[in-house]
Amino acid sequence: MTLPRTWIDWGGHRWLALLARLYLGGLFLWAAVHKIADPAAFALDVATYQFLPLAAINAFALVLPWVEVLAGVMLVAGLRVRSAALLVALMMAAFLVALGHALHLGLDLSCGCFASGGAEADPISWRTLVRDGAWLLLALYVLAVDRRPLGVERWGKDS
Amino acid sequence: MQAETPRSIVRDALLACGVAVALAAGLNATRTDALPWVAPREYQVLVPCPEVAGEAAVLTPDDPALADLLSPSHAGGRTLVIDARGQEAFAAWHVPGARSVPYDYLAPTPPETVSAILASGATRVVVVGDGDDPDSGRELARELAGKGLKNVAWLKGGAPALKAAAEGRRP
Repeated sequence: MTLPRTWIDWGGHRWLALLARLYLGGLFLWAAVHKIADPAAFALDVATYQFLPLAAINAFALVLPWVEVLAGVMLVAGLRVRSAALLVALMMAAFLVALGHALHLGLDLSCGCFASGGAEADPISWRTLVRDGAWLLLALYVLAVDRRPLGVERWGKDS
Repeated sequence: MQAETPRSIVRDALLACGVAVALAAGLNATRTDALPWVAPREYQVLVPCPEVAGEAAVLTPDDPALADLLSPSHAGGRTLVIDARGQEAFAAWHVPGARSVPYDYLAPTPPETVSAILASGATRVVVVGDGDDPDSGRELARELAGKGLKNVAWLKGGAPALKAAAEGRRP
């Protein structure tokens, strides 16, 4: 990371990053619930993107929600925060590519982000793309600056 | 705690992915409706196709421009009438000289059909549909306009309205 040391070392980052972590962590935990509850519906959502090969759809639908859960827990708890932020950033980047692909094709489908059950439940749009882009920036911010994160990992180690 | 390095950040992220795979496998194995890790067959996804819809003018059955369409001598004129209804409805009644191009709501009109319309030499295309809501004529006219055909119109009320007009009464 080649950001200026003085900027990275600013003490306020850990508090701003904590807010970002709680927001992103809560978001990912919430997003994982419906996917774990009904993996078949989520697999169908994934299939409608027409992005992944058939052989990868179910495995992706089964594993992704648990990556979201673990990343969410790690962000909220302050455990290996930058690894969690890296996971979130990679997921958001992947979602952005898939979303852009679907929007480019003009597909009218469910995002699959927070609900399953068709485009009416959770439709994709260019707004979804902007929203995901903002979340990607938040994750990158945490990854870049949260080097002494507040949370269980540093419990009692900071004054 | 050791200082984080890019390598340790990536390593811990991969470790979390490994745990996620184990959790996913564990929970899935306990489900009565377990999802197979590889889908046995293609998913049947019904996603509305990207519509290439253009603008098509709308005509009414009493439009003077349509007056000569119903005459038997119309066939071969400069206006091409396309009937968007199914083959059966077309066989039951159609405008003299009309060409049958049944509109399919789920599949685009074949390129060769569009090419044949372009090659017809007509200067105007009037699409007659079923008059329903949505009207197959309107949909086909918009699709053809979106595919580059100029001077495309559709008939409001479709074939039933046109037939009624031909019989000298309103539907």
